[in-house]
Amino acid sequence: MTPALTLPARPTLRLWDAAPALSAFALLVALAAIPLLAAAALDPRSLQGEGIWVKPLKFHLALTVYFATLAIFARWMPAGMMETRGWRIYQAVIIACTVGELLWIGGAAALGTASHFNLSSPAWAMLYPLMGVFAVTLTSMTLVMGMAIWRNTATGLPAPVHLSVALGLVLTFVLTVLAASILAQGTGHLVGTPVTGARLPLLGWSREVGDLRAPHFLATHAMHVLPLAGLSALALPSRAQVPAVWIAAAAFCALVLWALATSLAGRPLV
Amino acid sequence: MPTDTLFSLANSAALLGWTALALSPLAPRPAVMLAGRIIPLALATLYTGLVLAFWSGAEGGFSTLPDVMALFRTPEITLAGWAHYLAFDLFVGAWVAQTARSEGIPHYQTLPLLLLTFLFGPAGFLATQLLRTARSPFPSLQPKGQP
Repeated sequence: MTPALTLPARPTLRLWDAAPALSAFALLVALAAIPLLAAAALDPRSLQGEGIWVKPLKFHLALTVYFATLAIFARWMPAGMMETRGWRIYQAVIIACTVGELLWIGGAAALGTASHFNLSSPAWAMLYPLMGVFAVTLTSMTLVMGMAIWRNTATGLPAPVHLSVALGLVLTFVLTVLAASILAQGTGHLVGTPVTGARLPLLGWSREVGDLRAPHFLATHAMHVLPLAGLSALALPSRAQVPAVWIAAAAFCALVLWALATSLAGRPLV
Repeated sequence: MPTDTLFSLANSAALLGWTALALSPLAPRPAVMLAGRIIPLALATLYTGLVLAFWSGAEGGFSTLPDVMALFRTPEITLAGWAHYLAFDLFVGAWVAQTARSEGIPHYQTLPLLLLTFLFGPAGFLATQLLRTARSPFPSLQPKGQP
């Protein structure tokens, strides 16, 4: 019997072709939620009124969406840029910061304590600002990719979609850093009293006082909202398409600023 | 879910895996997939969930024998330890079945090895290596491609 001389071509997905590391990392963050789900099902502890594993699970979900989105947009990066040594190093730093962030948040849950705003011991007080640096670093990939896609003239995308992808990524960075740095100034994510525990399902935002996680959420989703606006703009007459994307971007910035102001004033968005 | 229920579930899952290995000549690949991957991974998920949830609340540690014994005063950690035995013993059992098959060890000789691994994991692993050594003391002298 003669063994097969050639292996069948390995099936690959477009995501793994365009951005193997980002795609694999997105999937890894998702798969790593499996043991956390087991812990959530077994653990009777709660923190600030919700199961102690809810927060790590939300971060795994959010960062899966984040890296999957970057992996999808990677196909519009300038040719060869993601094969450079500099990019590989930068990408490794981003992934290391994300792993650090998830270990900090998951580790705090395992230990039954808070991650963000936790100044209860010198070690936690030292970690918190370090994790702020990690968070800004991992968010910077949206700025870098947004600028690179902006300048790439060979994406093959219609002008409004091209602009909306690039602008959405850049705005995710700018608005997230703004919202998150305001969020980090306080002693917790809630602004105002009384807090009795009324929350939105899934998102967990307070329905009775200001919750600064809401503007952070909106800000970070610029990378999703603007491309949808860009796709919708294709339905307009061609002269209006690009201006419509700019108007949508301005409106989205206004929405985030309104959400920030409302939350800072101690009022819930919904 | 109470720890007693989880204990019974874990035991039943492991027993299913061992049954698959005992009957593995009937369907070697599915048996090894079930006993070498699916069930050990399910047990590993249970183990990891228990450790994430209960480790920080348990006394004891790994550094001295009294510390290790203290760990087992927490029922959930004892359950995790049991899931650890079940998962790794079954994984080794699947390796025994697979290795024995690829080396042409007849199944009637593999069965006692599996039974020993099932009951006393490391003893089964040791017995497997002893039998393989006895059958082929100088594997480098064997012609390539022969089992």
